[in-house]
Amino acid sequence: MREKVLHLRNVIKRFGGRTVVDIKDITFGTHGIEGLIGPNGAGKTTLIGLISRKVSMDQGQILYYQDKNEMDISKKSLDELSRMGLVRTNQIIQDFESLSIRDSLLLSLANSKHEKFYNIFNEKELRKNTEKEIEKYLDYFNFEDPDGHALSAGEKKLLDIIRCMVLKPKFLLMDEPTAGLPHDQTDKVIELMKKKTKEEGMAILIVEHDLDLIWTVSENVYFMSEGEILIKGTPDEIRKNKTVINKYMGESEC
Amino acid sequence: MEQLFSGYMIYSLSFLLIFIALATILHLQFSIGGIVNFGIVGFWGLGMYAFALLNLKLNIPFVPAVLLASALTGIVSMALGRIILNLDDQAVLVGTLAFATIIEYLATTEKWLTNGVMGFGTIKFPFDLGANTLFVYFLVVLVFLILLMFYVSKIKTSPYGRLLLSIKDNEILSQSLGKPTFRHKIIFFTVTCSLIGFFGAMTAPLYNYIFPRMIGPGITFTIWIALMLGGRKKLLGGFIGILATIGLFDYVIETVVPIPTQYAEMVPNVKFALYGLTLMLVLMFRPLGILGDKKREVKG
Ligand SMILES: Nc1ncnc2c1ncn2[C@@H]1O[C@H](COP(=O)(O)OP(=O)(O)OP(=O)(O)O)[C@@H](O)[C@H]1O
Ligand SMILES: [Mg+2]
Repeated sequence: MREKVLHLRNVIKRFGGRTVVDIKDITFGTHGIEGLIGPNGAGKTTLIGLISRKVSMDQGQILYYQDKNEMDISKKSLDELSRMGLVRTNQIIQDFESLSIRDSLLLSLANSKHEKFYNIFNEKELRKNTEKEIEKYLDYFNFEDPDGHALSAGEKKLLDIIRCMVLKPKFLLMDEPTAGLPHDQTDKVIELMKKKTKEEGMAILIVEHDLDLIWTVSENVYFMSEGEILIKGTPDEIRKNKTVINKYMGESEC
Repeated sequence: MEQLFSGYMIYSLSFLLIFIALATILHLQFSIGGIVNFGIVGFWGLGMYAFALLNLKLNIPFVPAVLLASALTGIVSMALGRIILNLDDQAVLVGTLAFATIIEYLATTEKWLTNGVMGFGTIKFPFDLGANTLFVYFLVVLVFLILLMFYVSKIKTSPYGRLLLSIKDNEILSQSLGKPTFRHKIIFFTVTCSLIGFFGAMTAPLYNYIFPRMIGPGITFTIWIALMLGGRKKLLGGFIGILATIGLFDYVIETVVPIPTQYAEMVPNVKFALYGLTLMLVLMFRPLGILGDKKREVKG
Protein backbone atom coordinates (compact mmCIF):
# COMPACT_ATOMS: atom_id res chain seq x y z
CA MET A 1 0.00 0.00 0.00
CA ARG A 2 1.06 3.55 -0.70
CA GLU A 3 -0.06 6.87 0.66
CA LYS A 4 -3.29 8.10 -0.89
CA VAL A 5 -2.93 10.78 -3.57
CA LEU A 6 -6.52 11.88 -3.97
CA HIS A 7 -9.43 12.08 -1.62
CA LEU A 8 -12.90 12.91 -2.94
CA ARG A 9 -15.70 13.93 -0.60
CA ASN A 10 -19.33 14.40 -1.56
CA VAL A 11 -18.44 15.22 -5.14
CA ILE A 12 -21.52 15.86 -7.22
CA LYS A 13 -21.96 16.72 -10.89
CA ARG A 14 -25.27 17.28 -12.59
CA PHE A 15 -26.00 17.78 -16.26
CA GLY A 16 -29.34 19.47 -16.80
CA GLY A 17 -30.72 18.37 -13.46
CA ARG A 18 -29.58 14.76 -13.91
CA THR A 19 -26.96 13.64 -11.41
CA VAL A 20 -24.16 12.08 -13.40
CA VAL A 21 -21.54 11.74 -10.68
CA ASP A 22 -22.20 11.34 -6.98
CA ILE A 23 -19.16 10.24 -4.97
CA LYS A 24 -19.50 10.01 -1.20
CA ASP A 25 -15.99 9.31 0.03
CA ILE A 26 -13.27 7.73 -2.07
CA THR A 27 -9.48 7.74 -2.07
CA PHE A 28 -7.27 7.03 -5.06
CA GLY A 29 -3.58 6.33 -5.47
CA THR A 30 -3.00 3.81 -2.73
CA HIS A 31 -1.88 1.27 -5.32
CA GLY A 32 0.38 1.71 -8.33
CA ILE A 33 -2.28 1.03 -10.92
CA GLU A 34 -5.96 1.21 -10.11
CA GLY A 35 -8.80 0.37 -12.47
CA LEU A 36 -12.12 2.13 -12.84
CA ILE A 37 -14.81 0.16 -14.63
CA GLY A 38 -18.50 0.48 -15.24
CA PRO A 39 -21.11 0.44 -18.00
CA ASN A 40 -21.38 3.08 -20.70
CA GLY A 41 -22.67 6.32 -19.28
CA ALA A 42 -21.74 5.38 -15.72
CA GLY A 43 -19.92 8.69 -15.34
CA LYS A 44 -16.30 7.53 -15.55
CA THR A 45 -15.15 10.14 -18.03
CA THR A 46 -17.05 12.83 -16.14
CA LEU A 47 -15.35 11.76 -12.91
CA ILE A 48 -11.94 12.03 -14.56
CA GLY A 49 -12.98 15.42 -15.87
CA LEU A 50 -13.95 16.51 -12.37
CA ILE A 51 -10.65 15.40 -10.88
CA SER A 52 -8.59 17.07 -13.62
CA ARG A 53 -10.81 20.16 -13.50
CA LYS A 54 -11.78 19.86 -17.14
CA VAL A 55 -15.36 19.61 -15.91
CA SER A 56 -16.61 22.03 -13.29
CA MET A 57 -17.95 20.59 -10.06
CA ASP A 58 -21.39 21.41 -8.67
CA GLN A 59 -20.51 20.49 -5.15
CA GLY A 60 -17.88 18.71 -3.10
CA GLN A 61 -14.23 18.67 -2.23
CA ILE A 62 -11.22 17.09 -3.87
CA LEU A 63 -8.03 16.84 -1.84
CA TYR A 64 -4.63 16.19 -3.41
CA TYR A 65 -1.64 14.94 -1.42
CA GLN A 66 1.82 15.90 -2.48
CA ASP A 67 4.85 15.22 -0.30
CA LYS A 68 2.54 14.82 2.70
CA ASN A 69 0.94 18.19 2.04
CA GLU A 70 -2.80 18.27 1.73
CA MET A 71 -4.22 20.60 -0.90
CA ASP A 72 -7.79 21.40 -1.79
CA ILE A 73 -7.77 21.37 -5.59
CA SER A 74 -11.47 22.02 -6.12
CA LYS A 75 -10.71 25.56 -7.24
CA LYS A 76 -7.55 24.89 -9.23
CA SER A 77 -7.47 25.07 -13.02
CA LEU A 78 -6.63 22.32 -15.49
CA ASP A 79 -3.19 23.73 -16.26
CA GLU A 80 -2.29 24.35 -12.64
CA LEU A 81 -3.12 20.77 -11.78
CA SER A 82 -1.08 19.51 -14.67
CA ARG A 83 1.92 21.44 -13.38
CA MET A 84 1.26 20.00 -9.94
CA GLY A 85 1.57 16.50 -11.35
CA LEU A 86 -2.06 15.57 -11.91
CA VAL A 87 -2.35 14.74 -15.60
CA ARG A 88 -4.94 13.07 -17.82
CA THR A 89 -5.18 11.32 -21.16
CA ASN A 90 -8.31 11.53 -23.28
CA GLN A 91 -10.93 9.00 -24.29
CA ILE A 92 -11.87 11.02 -27.36
CA ILE A 93 -8.91 11.60 -29.65
CA GLN A 94 -7.28 14.98 -29.12
CA ASP A 95 -4.42 16.37 -31.14
CA PHE A 96 -2.73 19.57 -32.34
CA GLU A 97 -3.36 19.93 -36.03
CA SER A 98 -0.28 22.07 -36.69
CA LEU A 99 2.23 20.05 -34.69
CA SER A 100 4.20 17.02 -35.79
CA ILE A 101 4.69 14.13 -33.40
CA ARG A 102 8.07 15.45 -32.34
CA ASP A 103 6.74 19.01 -31.98
CA SER A 104 3.99 17.73 -29.75
CA LEU A 105 6.51 16.12 -27.42
CA LEU A 106 8.73 19.20 -27.48
CA LEU A 107 5.71 21.24 -26.51
CA SER A 108 4.99 18.93 -23.65
CA LEU A 109 8.58 19.03 -22.41
CA ALA A 110 9.00 22.80 -22.71
CA ASN A 111 8.26 24.72 -19.55
CA SER A 112 7.29 28.30 -18.92
CA LYS A 113 10.93 29.40 -18.97
CA HIS A 114 11.20 28.36 -22.62
CA GLU A 115 7.90 29.91 -23.62
CA LYS A 116 8.47 33.65 -23.56
CA PHE A 117 7.74 36.03 -26.39
CA TYR A 118 11.16 37.61 -26.03
CA ASN A 119 12.97 34.29 -26.04
CA ILE A 120 13.08 33.00 -29.60
CA PHE A 121 16.59 31.62 -29.70
CA ASN A 122 16.25 28.67 -27.34
CA GLU A 123 15.05 25.99 -29.73
CA LYS A 124 18.45 24.30 -30.02
CA GLU A 125 18.88 24.18 -26.29
CA LEU A 126 15.44 22.66 -25.74
CA ARG A 127 16.02 20.08 -28.45
CA LYS A 128 19.39 19.14 -27.02
CA ASN A 129 18.06 18.74 -23.51
CA THR A 130 15.08 16.66 -24.50
CA GLU A 131 16.48 14.61 -27.37
CA LYS A 132 17.24 11.50 -25.33
CA GLU A 133 13.86 11.42 -23.66
CA ILE A 134 11.98 11.95 -26.92
CA GLU A 135 14.00 9.40 -28.89
CA LYS A 136 13.38 6.85 -26.17
CA TYR A 137 9.63 7.06 -26.66
CA LEU A 138 9.73 7.38 -30.42
CA ASP A 139 11.87 4.25 -30.70
CA TYR A 140 9.81 2.35 -28.19
CA PHE A 141 6.55 2.93 -30.03
CA ASN A 142 7.98 2.84 -33.54
CA PHE A 143 6.19 5.78 -35.10
CA GLU A 144 6.13 5.68 -38.86
CA ASP A 145 7.27 9.27 -39.33
CA PRO A 146 8.08 11.12 -36.11
CA ASP A 147 8.61 14.39 -37.97
CA GLY A 148 5.24 14.13 -39.64
CA HIS A 149 1.82 14.26 -38.08
CA ALA A 150 0.25 11.42 -36.17
CA LEU A 151 -1.87 9.91 -38.89
CA SER A 152 -3.92 6.99 -37.65
CA ALA A 153 -6.28 7.11 -34.72
CA GLY A 154 -3.93 4.69 -33.00
CA GLU A 155 -0.92 6.97 -33.42
CA LYS A 156 -2.87 9.92 -32.08
CA LYS A 157 -3.98 7.91 -29.10
CA LEU A 158 -0.41 6.83 -28.39
CA LEU A 159 0.85 10.37 -28.80
CA ASP A 160 -1.74 11.54 -26.29
CA ILE A 161 -0.36 9.03 -23.80
CA ILE A 162 3.29 9.88 -24.43
CA ARG A 163 2.64 13.62 -24.16
CA CYS A 164 1.40 12.91 -20.66
CA MET A 165 4.14 10.43 -19.77
CA VAL A 166 6.95 12.88 -20.55
CA LEU A 167 5.42 15.28 -18.04
CA LYS A 168 6.37 12.72 -15.38
CA PRO A 169 3.10 13.08 -13.54
CA LYS A 170 2.62 11.99 -9.98
CA PHE A 171 -0.90 10.84 -10.71
CA LEU A 172 -2.02 9.91 -14.20
CA LEU A 173 -5.65 9.51 -15.19
CA MET A 174 -6.04 7.37 -18.30
CA ASP A 175 -9.41 7.30 -20.01
CA GLU A 176 -9.61 4.22 -22.24
CA PRO A 177 -6.01 4.59 -23.40
CA THR A 178 -5.86 1.39 -25.40
CA ALA A 179 -9.24 1.49 -27.14
CA GLY A 180 -8.49 1.22 -30.84
CA LEU A 181 -4.81 0.35 -30.42
CA PRO A 182 -3.31 -2.73 -32.07
CA HIS A 183 -2.40 -5.54 -29.68
CA ASP A 184 1.35 -5.08 -29.76
CA GLN A 185 1.00 -1.36 -28.98
CA THR A 186 -1.44 -2.10 -26.16
CA ASP A 187 1.11 -4.43 -24.63
CA LYS A 188 3.75 -1.74 -24.88
CA VAL A 189 1.50 0.77 -23.15
CA ILE A 190 0.84 -1.69 -20.34
CA GLU A 191 4.53 -2.40 -19.94
CA LEU A 192 5.22 1.32 -19.81
CA MET A 193 2.53 1.88 -17.19
CA LYS A 194 3.99 -0.86 -15.02
CA LYS A 195 7.48 0.51 -15.39
CA LYS A 196 6.44 4.04 -14.50
CA THR A 197 4.51 3.00 -11.42
CA LYS A 198 7.33 0.80 -10.18
CA GLU A 199 10.34 2.91 -11.00
CA GLU A 200 9.11 6.47 -10.85
CA GLY A 201 6.45 6.19 -8.18
CA MET A 202 3.72 7.31 -10.53
CA ALA A 203 0.17 6.33 -9.61
CA ILE A 204 -2.30 5.55 -12.37
CA LEU A 205 -6.07 5.39 -12.50
CA ILE A 206 -7.15 3.66 -15.67
CA VAL A 207 -10.63 3.49 -17.16
CA GLU A 208 -11.15 0.59 -19.56
CA HIS A 209 -13.85 -1.61 -21.01
CA ASP A 210 -11.21 -4.22 -21.88
CA LEU A 211 -11.68 -6.17 -18.67
CA ASP A 212 -8.85 -8.65 -19.32
CA LEU A 213 -6.53 -5.69 -19.33
CA ILE A 214 -8.04 -4.38 -16.10
CA TRP A 215 -7.67 -7.74 -14.35
CA THR A 216 -4.03 -8.06 -15.38
CA VAL A 217 -2.72 -4.57 -14.67
CA SER A 218 -4.73 -3.26 -11.73
CA GLU A 219 -3.96 -3.95 -8.11
CA ASN A 220 -7.20 -2.35 -7.06
CA VAL A 221 -10.47 -1.89 -8.96
CA TYR A 222 -13.41 0.47 -8.52
CA PHE A 223 -16.79 -0.34 -9.96
CA MET A 224 -18.92 2.62 -10.97
CA SER A 225 -22.53 2.60 -11.97
CA GLU A 226 -25.01 5.43 -12.46
CA GLY A 227 -22.64 7.99 -11.05
CA GLU A 228 -21.72 6.16 -7.89
CA ILE A 229 -18.74 4.05 -6.99
CA LEU A 230 -20.51 1.00 -5.62
CA ILE A 231 -17.69 -1.38 -4.88
CA LYS A 232 -13.93 -1.46 -4.64
CA GLY A 233 -11.59 -4.39 -4.20
CA THR A 234 -8.92 -6.57 -5.76
CA PRO A 235 -9.50 -7.69 -9.34
CA ASP A 236 -10.51 -11.12 -8.11
CA GLU A 237 -13.07 -9.76 -5.71
CA ILE A 238 -14.56 -7.46 -8.32
CA ARG A 239 -14.82 -10.00 -11.13
CA LYS A 240 -16.70 -12.39 -8.87
CA ASN A 241 -18.96 -9.75 -7.34
CA LYS A 242 -22.67 -10.33 -8.00
CA THR A 243 -23.54 -6.65 -8.49
CA VAL A 244 -20.74 -6.19 -10.97
CA ILE A 245 -21.77 -9.29 -12.88
CA ASN A 246 -25.42 -8.25 -12.93
CA LYS A 247 -24.93 -4.62 -13.80
CA TYR A 248 -21.99 -4.82 -16.14
CA MET A 249 -20.36 -8.07 -17.15
CA GLY A 250 -23.60 -9.63 -18.32
CA GLU A 251 -23.91 -7.03 -21.05
CA SER A 252 -20.26 -6.71 -21.94
CA GLU A 253 -19.91 -10.45 -22.48
CA CYS A 254 -22.01 -10.32 -25.64
CA MET B 1 10.06 66.87 -61.93
CA GLU B 2 12.11 63.70 -61.61
CA GLN B 3 12.91 64.66 -58.02
CA LEU B 4 9.22 64.98 -57.29
CA PHE B 5 8.40 61.63 -58.82
CA SER B 6 11.05 59.78 -56.89
CA GLY B 7 9.93 61.55 -53.73
CA TYR B 8 6.42 60.37 -54.34
CA MET B 9 7.67 56.87 -55.02
CA ILE B 10 9.51 56.68 -51.74
CA TYR B 11 6.54 58.10 -49.95
CA SER B 12 4.32 55.40 -51.46
CA LEU B 13 6.84 52.69 -50.74
CA SER B 14 7.04 53.78 -47.11
CA PHE B 15 3.30 53.26 -46.80
CA LEU B 16 3.61 49.89 -48.45
CA LEU B 17 6.20 48.90 -45.85
CA ILE B 18 3.88 49.96 -43.05
CA PHE B 19 1.02 47.93 -44.47
CA ILE B 20 3.26 44.93 -45.05
CA ALA B 21 4.23 45.18 -41.40
CA LEU B 22 0.57 45.25 -40.35
CA ALA B 23 -0.26 42.25 -42.56
CA THR B 24 2.72 40.38 -41.12
CA ILE B 25 1.58 41.08 -37.57
CA LEU B 26 -1.89 39.93 -38.55
CA HIS B 27 -0.37 36.72 -39.88
CA LEU B 28 1.35 36.27 -36.53
CA GLN B 29 -1.82 36.97 -34.58
CA PHE B 30 -4.13 34.89 -36.72
CA SER B 31 -2.16 32.02 -38.19
CA ILE B 32 0.11 31.37 -35.24
CA GLY B 33 -1.80 32.78 -32.29
CA GLY B 34 -5.29 32.02 -33.56
CA ILE B 35 -6.59 35.47 -32.67
CA VAL B 36 -9.09 36.93 -35.11
CA ASN B 37 -8.21 40.61 -34.93
CA PHE B 38 -10.69 42.63 -36.95
CA GLY B 39 -9.66 45.86 -35.31
CA ILE B 40 -6.14 46.28 -36.64
CA VAL B 41 -6.89 49.81 -37.73
CA GLY B 42 -7.94 50.64 -34.18
CA PHE B 43 -4.60 49.69 -32.66
CA TRP B 44 -2.77 51.31 -35.52
CA GLY B 45 -4.87 54.47 -35.19
CA LEU B 46 -4.44 54.53 -31.44
CA GLY B 47 -0.68 54.34 -31.82
CA MET B 48 -0.74 57.07 -34.44
CA TYR B 49 -3.00 59.44 -32.52
CA ALA B 50 -1.29 58.80 -29.21
CA PHE B 51 2.08 59.51 -30.76
CA ALA B 52 0.92 62.68 -32.48
CA LEU B 53 -0.71 64.00 -29.31
CA LEU B 54 2.33 63.24 -27.17
CA ASN B 55 4.66 64.69 -29.74
CA LEU B 56 2.74 67.83 -30.60
CA LYS B 57 0.70 68.68 -27.54
CA LEU B 58 3.15 67.59 -24.86
CA ASN B 59 6.29 68.23 -26.86
CA ILE B 60 7.67 64.81 -26.08
CA PRO B 61 10.54 63.98 -28.46
CA PHE B 62 10.08 61.49 -31.25
CA VAL B 63 11.62 58.32 -29.81
CA PRO B 64 10.05 58.43 -26.33
CA ALA B 65 6.74 59.44 -27.89
CA VAL B 66 6.83 56.39 -30.18
CA LEU B 67 7.66 54.14 -27.26
CA LEU B 68 4.96 55.64 -25.06
CA ALA B 69 2.39 55.37 -27.82
CA SER B 70 3.27 51.69 -28.35
CA ALA B 71 3.10 51.04 -24.61
CA LEU B 72 -0.25 52.79 -24.37
CA THR B 73 -1.61 50.69 -27.23
CA GLY B 74 -0.33 47.64 -25.39
CA ILE B 75 -2.04 48.60 -22.15
CA VAL B 76 -5.34 49.28 -23.85
CA SER B 77 -5.17 46.01 -25.77
CA MET B 78 -4.37 44.15 -22.57
CA ALA B 79 -7.54 45.53 -21.00
CA LEU B 80 -9.50 44.59 -24.10
CA GLY B 81 -7.86 41.16 -24.18
CA ARG B 82 -8.92 40.39 -20.63
CA ILE B 83 -12.51 40.90 -21.69
CA ILE B 84 -12.59 39.11 -25.01
CA LEU B 85 -9.79 36.55 -25.19
CA ASN B 86 -11.53 33.82 -23.24
CA LEU B 87 -14.53 34.06 -25.53
CA ASP B 88 -14.91 32.32 -28.87
CA ASP B 89 -13.59 33.52 -32.24
CA GLN B 90 -16.76 35.35 -33.23
CA ALA B 91 -16.71 37.33 -30.02
CA VAL B 92 -13.05 38.25 -30.53
CA LEU B 93 -13.87 39.36 -34.07
CA VAL B 94 -16.78 41.51 -32.96
CA GLY B 95 -14.89 42.81 -29.91
CA THR B 96 -11.88 43.98 -31.88
CA LEU B 97 -14.06 45.43 -34.63
CA ALA B 98 -16.04 47.36 -32.03
CA PHE B 99 -12.80 48.54 -30.45
CA ALA B 100 -11.62 50.01 -33.75
CA THR B 101 -14.97 51.71 -34.22
CA ILE B 102 -14.68 53.27 -30.77
CA ILE B 103 -11.21 54.61 -31.53
CA GLU B 104 -12.41 56.17 -34.77
CA TYR B 105 -15.44 57.57 -32.97
CA LEU B 106 -13.37 59.07 -30.16
CA ALA B 107 -10.97 60.62 -32.66
CA THR B 108 -13.99 62.32 -34.17
CA THR B 109 -15.90 63.39 -31.07
CA GLU B 110 -13.14 64.44 -28.69
CA LYS B 111 -12.65 67.71 -30.51
CA TRP B 112 -10.81 69.41 -27.62
CA LEU B 113 -8.07 66.84 -28.03
CA THR B 114 -8.08 65.78 -31.66
CA ASN B 115 -9.77 68.67 -33.41
CA GLY B 116 -12.46 66.26 -34.61
CA VAL B 117 -12.96 65.56 -38.30
CA MET B 118 -10.63 68.42 -39.21
CA GLY B 119 -7.69 66.61 -37.68
CA PHE B 120 -4.41 68.14 -36.63
CA GLY B 121 -0.73 68.43 -37.47
CA THR B 122 1.93 69.08 -38.43
CA ILE B 123 3.84 65.98 -37.48
CA LYS B 124 7.49 66.24 -38.33
CA PHE B 125 10.09 63.65 -39.12
CA PRO B 126 12.50 62.90 -36.26
CA PHE B 127 15.40 64.30 -38.23
CA ASP B 128 15.93 66.85 -40.94
CA LEU B 129 18.32 65.76 -43.65
CA GLY B 130 17.00 68.09 -46.28
CA ALA B 131 16.04 66.34 -49.48
CA ASN B 132 17.09 62.98 -48.05
CA THR B 133 14.83 63.07 -45.00
CA LEU B 134 12.08 60.97 -46.50
CA PHE B 135 14.47 58.44 -47.96
CA VAL B 136 16.29 57.93 -44.67
CA TYR B 137 12.97 57.59 -42.85
CA PHE B 138 11.96 55.00 -45.42
CA LEU B 139 15.13 53.07 -44.58
CA VAL B 140 14.35 53.26 -40.87
CA VAL B 141 10.88 51.80 -41.47
CA LEU B 142 12.45 49.15 -43.69
CA VAL B 143 14.83 48.13 -40.92
CA PHE B 144 11.94 47.73 -38.48
CA LEU B 145 10.00 45.70 -41.02
CA ILE B 146 12.97 43.41 -41.55
CA LEU B 147 13.37 43.01 -37.80
CA LEU B 148 9.69 42.15 -37.53
CA MET B 149 9.92 39.58 -40.30
CA PHE B 150 12.96 38.05 -38.68
CA TYR B 151 11.14 37.82 -35.36
CA VAL B 152 8.10 36.17 -36.91
CA SER B 153 10.25 33.70 -38.84
CA LYS B 154 12.12 32.81 -35.65
CA ILE B 155 8.95 32.38 -33.62
CA LYS B 156 7.77 29.69 -35.97
CA THR B 157 10.54 27.35 -34.94
CA SER B 158 10.72 28.25 -31.28
CA PRO B 159 9.12 26.75 -28.18
CA TYR B 160 7.02 29.92 -27.91
CA GLY B 161 5.65 29.45 -31.44
CA ARG B 162 4.79 25.86 -30.67
CA LEU B 163 2.94 26.98 -27.59
CA LEU B 164 0.95 29.52 -29.61
CA LEU B 165 0.07 26.92 -32.23
CA SER B 166 -1.05 24.52 -29.55
CA ILE B 167 -3.38 27.14 -28.09
CA LYS B 168 -4.78 27.90 -31.51
CA ASP B 169 -5.33 24.23 -32.35
CA ASN B 170 -6.65 22.86 -29.08
CA GLU B 171 -6.61 25.16 -26.10
CA ILE B 172 -7.96 22.66 -23.57
CA LEU B 173 -5.42 20.04 -24.57
CA SER B 174 -2.71 22.67 -24.22
CA GLN B 175 -3.99 23.47 -20.73
CA SER B 176 -3.95 19.82 -19.82
CA LEU B 177 -0.22 19.83 -20.61
CA GLY B 178 0.22 22.55 -18.01
CA LYS B 179 0.09 25.67 -20.20
CA PRO B 180 -1.68 28.70 -18.69
CA THR B 181 -3.27 29.54 -22.01
CA PHE B 182 -5.36 32.54 -21.05
CA ARG B 183 -2.37 34.35 -19.60
CA HIS B 184 -0.31 33.51 -22.66
CA LYS B 185 -3.02 34.80 -24.97
CA ILE B 186 -3.23 38.10 -23.12
CA ILE B 187 0.52 38.64 -23.17
CA PHE B 188 0.69 37.69 -26.84
CA PHE B 189 -2.19 39.98 -27.75
CA THR B 190 -0.68 42.84 -25.76
CA VAL B 191 2.73 42.50 -27.36
CA THR B 192 1.47 42.13 -30.91
CA CYS B 193 -1.06 44.96 -30.59
CA SER B 194 1.58 47.27 -29.20
CA LEU B 195 3.64 46.38 -32.27
CA ILE B 196 0.71 47.50 -34.40
CA GLY B 197 0.63 50.67 -32.30
CA PHE B 198 4.34 51.11 -32.92
CA PHE B 199 3.88 51.02 -36.66
CA GLY B 200 0.93 53.37 -36.24
CA ALA B 201 3.21 55.87 -34.51
CA MET B 202 5.79 55.42 -37.25
CA THR B 203 3.12 56.24 -39.84
CA ALA B 204 2.24 59.61 -38.34
CA PRO B 205 5.15 61.63 -39.80
CA LEU B 206 4.39 60.19 -43.24
CA TYR B 207 0.86 61.52 -43.03
CA ASN B 208 2.02 64.76 -41.57
CA TYR B 209 -1.56 65.68 -40.76
CA ILE B 210 -3.97 63.17 -39.26
CA PHE B 211 -7.74 63.00 -39.19
CA PRO B 212 -10.33 60.32 -38.31
CA ARG B 213 -11.18 59.29 -41.86
CA MET B 214 -7.72 57.76 -42.12
CA ILE B 215 -8.55 55.19 -39.52
CA GLY B 216 -11.77 53.80 -40.96
CA PRO B 217 -12.52 50.06 -41.19
CA GLY B 218 -11.46 49.93 -44.86
CA ILE B 219 -7.86 49.51 -43.74
CA THR B 220 -8.64 46.48 -41.62
CA PHE B 221 -10.53 44.85 -44.46
CA THR B 222 -7.81 45.61 -46.97
CA ILE B 223 -5.16 44.06 -44.75
CA TRP B 224 -7.26 40.97 -44.18
CA ILE B 225 -7.91 40.61 -47.88
CA ALA B 226 -4.23 41.08 -48.60
CA LEU B 227 -3.24 38.40 -46.12
CA MET B 228 -5.80 35.89 -47.37
CA LEU B 229 -4.71 36.65 -50.89
CA GLY B 230 -1.00 36.35 -50.24
CA GLY B 231 -1.23 33.30 -48.02
CA ARG B 232 -2.23 33.55 -44.40
CA LYS B 233 -0.01 30.69 -43.30
CA LYS B 234 3.18 32.00 -44.87
CA LEU B 235 5.64 34.51 -43.52
CA LEU B 236 5.69 36.35 -46.84
CA GLY B 237 1.93 36.07 -47.30
CA GLY B 238 1.35 39.60 -46.03
CA PHE B 239 4.16 40.96 -48.18
CA ILE B 240 2.87 39.39 -51.40
CA GLY B 241 -0.73 40.21 -50.50
CA ILE B 242 -0.06 43.90 -49.88
CA LEU B 243 1.87 44.19 -53.14
CA ALA B 244 -1.00 42.52 -54.99
CA THR B 245 -3.63 44.80 -53.46
CA ILE B 246 -2.51 48.21 -52.27
CA GLY B 247 0.67 48.02 -54.31
CA LEU B 248 -1.11 47.18 -57.51
CA PHE B 249 -4.24 49.27 -57.19
CA ASP B 250 -3.28 52.32 -55.18
CA TYR B 251 0.10 52.93 -56.66
CA VAL B 252 0.64 51.18 -59.94
CA ILE B 253 -2.83 51.69 -61.37
CA GLU B 254 -3.50 55.10 -59.89
CA THR B 255 -0.15 56.54 -60.83
CA VAL B 256 0.82 54.72 -63.99
CA VAL B 257 -2.45 53.99 -65.75
CA PRO B 258 -3.91 57.17 -67.21
CA ILE B 259 -7.45 57.33 -65.90
CA PRO B 260 -9.69 60.03 -67.38
CA THR B 261 -10.72 62.48 -64.69
CA GLN B 262 -14.42 61.78 -65.07
CA TYR B 263 -13.77 58.17 -63.97
CA ALA B 264 -11.28 58.95 -61.24
CA GLU B 265 -13.99 59.10 -58.63
CA MET B 266 -14.96 55.54 -59.37
CA VAL B 267 -11.51 54.13 -58.77
CA PRO B 268 -11.84 53.47 -55.02
CA ASN B 269 -15.14 51.64 -55.49
CA VAL B 270 -13.89 49.63 -58.41
CA LYS B 271 -10.84 48.84 -56.34
CA PHE B 272 -12.87 47.34 -53.50
CA ALA B 273 -15.01 45.40 -55.96
CA LEU B 274 -11.86 44.01 -57.54
CA TYR B 275 -10.40 43.16 -54.12
CA GLY B 276 -13.55 41.24 -53.36
CA LEU B 277 -13.54 39.48 -56.69
CA THR B 278 -9.87 38.54 -56.40
CA LEU B 279 -10.42 37.26 -52.90
CA MET B 280 -13.34 35.11 -54.04
CA LEU B 281 -11.28 33.63 -56.85
CA VAL B 282 -8.40 32.95 -54.51
CA LEU B 283 -10.61 31.30 -51.93
CA MET B 284 -12.14 29.15 -54.65
CA PHE B 285 -8.97 28.06 -56.38
CA ARG B 286 -6.21 28.61 -53.86
CA PRO B 287 -7.83 28.61 -50.43
CA LEU B 288 -4.51 29.16 -48.72
CA GLY B 289 -3.57 32.13 -50.88
CA ILE B 290 -0.98 32.76 -53.58
CA LEU B 291 1.86 31.34 -51.48
CA GLY B 292 -0.23 28.63 -49.84
CA ASP B 293 -0.50 25.07 -50.96
CA LYS B 294 -3.05 24.48 -53.63
CA LYS B 295 -5.49 22.46 -51.64
CA ARG B 296 -6.89 22.91 -48.22
CA GLU B 297 -5.03 20.86 -45.68
CA VAL B 298 -6.77 17.59 -45.08
CA LYS B 299 -7.76 17.40 -41.50
CA GLY B 300 -6.80 14.07 -39.95
N1 LIG C 1 -21.29 17.70 -21.36
C1 LIG C 1 -22.34 16.92 -21.07
N2 LIG C 1 -23.60 17.40 -21.12
C2 LIG C 1 -24.65 16.62 -20.82
N3 LIG C 1 -24.56 15.35 -20.46
C3 LIG C 1 -23.34 14.79 -20.39
C4 LIG C 1 -22.16 15.55 -20.69
N4 LIG C 1 -21.09 14.74 -20.54
C5 LIG C 1 -21.56 13.57 -20.17
N5 LIG C 1 -22.91 13.58 -20.07
C6 LIG C 1 -23.76 12.45 -19.66
O1 LIG C 1 -23.27 12.00 -18.44
C7 LIG C 1 -23.34 10.59 -18.37
C8 LIG C 1 -21.99 10.03 -18.03
O2 LIG C 1 -21.14 10.22 -19.14
P1 LIG C 1 -19.64 9.75 -19.13
O3 LIG C 1 -19.05 10.15 -20.44
O4 LIG C 1 -18.98 10.23 -17.92
O5 LIG C 1 -19.78 8.17 -19.08
P2 LIG C 1 -18.65 7.06 -19.17
O6 LIG C 1 -18.77 6.23 -17.96
O7 LIG C 1 -17.34 7.65 -19.44
O8 LIG C 1 -19.15 6.23 -20.42
P3 LIG C 1 -18.30 5.44 -21.54
O9 LIG C 1 -17.90 4.16 -20.93
O10 LIG C 1 -19.26 5.26 -22.65
O11 LIG C 1 -17.14 6.29 -21.92
C9 LIG C 1 -23.87 10.11 -19.70
O12 LIG C 1 -25.24 9.86 -19.57
C10 LIG C 1 -23.65 11.28 -20.61
O13 LIG C 1 -24.64 11.33 -21.59
MG1 LIG D 1 -16.02 7.62 -20.99
